[in-house]
Amino acid sequence: MTPVASHRRKRLAEAMRQAGLDVIVLAGNAWQNDYLRYATDFAILEGQGLAVMRHDGNVALYLDSVLEAERAAVECAGVAVVHAPDLAAAVDEALNRLRNQRIGGAPYRLLPRRIAARAKDLNLSDETTFLDTLLMAKLPAELDAMRRAARLADDGYAVFLQAARPGRADYELVAEVEAFYRANGVDDNFQIIGVGGPEVRGMAPPSGKRLKAGDLVTTELTPCVDGYYCQICRTLVVGTPTTEQQAAHALYRDAMEAGIAAVRDGVTAAAIARAENDVFRHHGLGDYVTSEYTRVRGHGMGLFADSKPHLLENVTTRIDAGMALIVHPNTYHPVVGYMVLGDALIVTKTGCEVLTKMPRELFSVGV
Amino acid sequence: MRRGLMRWNAEELPLAVLQERTARLQAAMRQENLQALLVYTNLVRPSAVTWLTGFTPYWSEGLLLVGRDGAPTFATALSKRVASWIRSVSPLGEILNAPRPGTALGQRVAADTSVCRIGVVELDALPSGSYDDFSAAAPAVELLDATALFAGARRGADAAERHLLARADAIAVAALEQVDAAGATDAGSVAGAIEKHARLAGAEEVYITVASDLMADRRMIRPSAVALGDIFALRASIAYKGCWVRRARTFAKDAAARAAMARGDAWFAQVVQSIAPGKPLADQINTQVQAFGAKLESWMAESCLGSYPLQVIASSRSSSNGAPATGDFVVLSLALTIDGVPWVGAAPLIVGAAL
Repeated sequence: MTPVASHRRKRLAEAMRQAGLDVIVLAGNAWQNDYLRYATDFAILEGQGLAVMRHDGNVALYLDSVLEAERAAVECAGVAVVHAPDLAAAVDEALNRLRNQRIGGAPYRLLPRRIAARAKDLNLSDETTFLDTLLMAKLPAELDAMRRAARLADDGYAVFLQAARPGRADYELVAEVEAFYRANGVDDNFQIIGVGGPEVRGMAPPSGKRLKAGDLVTTELTPCVDGYYCQICRTLVVGTPTTEQQAAHALYRDAMEAGIAAVRDGVTAAAIARAENDVFRHHGLGDYVTSEYTRVRGHGMGLFADSKPHLLENVTTRIDAGMALIVHPNTYHPVVGYMVLGDALIVTKTGCEVLTKMPRELFSVGV
Repeated sequence: MRRGLMRWNAEELPLAVLQERTARLQAAMRQENLQALLVYTNLVRPSAVTWLTGFTPYWSEGLLLVGRDGAPTFATALSKRVASWIRSVSPLGEILNAPRPGTALGQRVAADTSVCRIGVVELDALPSGSYDDFSAAAPAVELLDATALFAGARRGADAAERHLLARADAIAVAALEQVDAAGATDAGSVAGAIEKHARLAGAEEVYITVASDLMADRRMIRPSAVALGDIFALRASIAYKGCWVRRARTFAKDAAARAAMARGDAWFAQVVQSIAPGKPLADQINTQVQAFGAKLESWMAESCLGSYPLQVIASSRSSSNGAPATGDFVVLSLALTIDGVPWVGAAPLIVGAAL
């Protein structure tokens, strides 16, 4: 077991004892795996997993894929791995043997219906918020992993820049980044991309679009190192940027830097989002910070690429030292199209430590 | 997340094919007196919805409601801003962008008083959030498990699916061809090269696992900077337009072991061609291995019957010994010992036909 995984499990066991929880059931899959990974350190690829952890630190990991169970038996030290083709039935049976104890579940909405339907009988409660608190407030070892992931976010973007040239398809750029990441021990990467001009309203997986002169190419790269995802958002132009593209980028940079300047221990998520959005409003672009054009103005990072808290003006979550965030005023610009810029950071008592070092410029690749 | 090429192509997956699949499912629903069918999807369990609509979520989750007739309705938690992307990769039916897909579809069902029995694919495994939202919005509707009904309607690959599977397999084969066994050093670099080749060829998703020293351990794990032993194996699980295959190959640095590997590969290629309908898989495999003169360590057959891209339908670990039918899609994985040397292989096949 890695030191960071060991620290996490001890912390979770201690928190369970303090909260009076005897057992916790954690659900996970390759989409959302942060809760499951917190206890097991397993990076699930296929199928579904459920971990049953007791307050003494004992963990059983149930996996419905035989290939994944085989892999987990090698990769997950200190965890009892159970291959359970009928996952819900196997865990239901295991919980049945524990039903005189206080059991929690997280994330509750992802627990199989069969288990959640027996909540009363099993003395099972929704403990998603309990886990969220641990996921957001990171241990020093977790922050070190975030720093390592940030270096690979920068390096990955350098590979992306090198790969971008006229005539190449969007998925070919992603292929170059993925090859670099696999060769450098990065298990996973959240990445979406946008290619084009004012007709582009957001980012999505590659669709086969080929880069041409004048295109904005947006991407958010999120490599996963030892389980921890760290994101960077940058925009490049194919050819020489226009005056409009440069002016738009300057506005996004001001917004991101205003958001970063607002980060410190004790502020709310809303305060950071408001600092970013005020820059757009000041330039008469207030409409473009609404949900019609943008999802969030940043978010937490860690064992999930899109962790809580979301940076939005209606999210009052307190920001604490030790949280990892990305501040990204990504949105549609009515003149040049969708543009992104974002840096990852760790919240400190007096401000923040910016993790990603890639220059905050509108990059240009030759035609 | 999915981050490879995702694009609907009407030539590869004609709208008429999707409509025919839906009609086949609706006929099965009528036989069971179901007024609708509910199918869950996320990027780990996409295949039932992909089969019906061509759509695979790159992120997040959704629910598909198939009515008694007409095109299905898809509700997803992906934001409205992503609606145009969803439409570009999914030509069929209505798309509802709703933070709680279960609520959106439940409300729709509740408004139709003729709907009282709804089938759910993999009901027990449905995430409780989706189930609770749907049930709260449509409390009068009875929800029944329809896993077997869906699998029955879905069984047997049509021409469009075979084409996509063949493309996925060609990508996997070509990607594994990139491995230079004699020159390979560490697992991470080899995996990176395979993955790059597959993604450049248009793979939607690529999972590479490795047994870096097959003499010591046959189990496959994620690749890292670990050095490759004299005999190693790689498994490439590849998706193309929502259709998944696996290919596994064994590689040897030493010429003598390479000869055993080549013998195994050639024999396996012939086995894959020869799987016949109507005969238990275990019997067919045991007979073939015996004739080859190798020791069978384990075997596994997977197919796509529900929401999982590949699920085990028979194996040496299970007591079931079913017989495949003509047109069934199967991924066959074998582990052998050939002349004292470990060998593993995996390949897709269509029973009784060429892939």
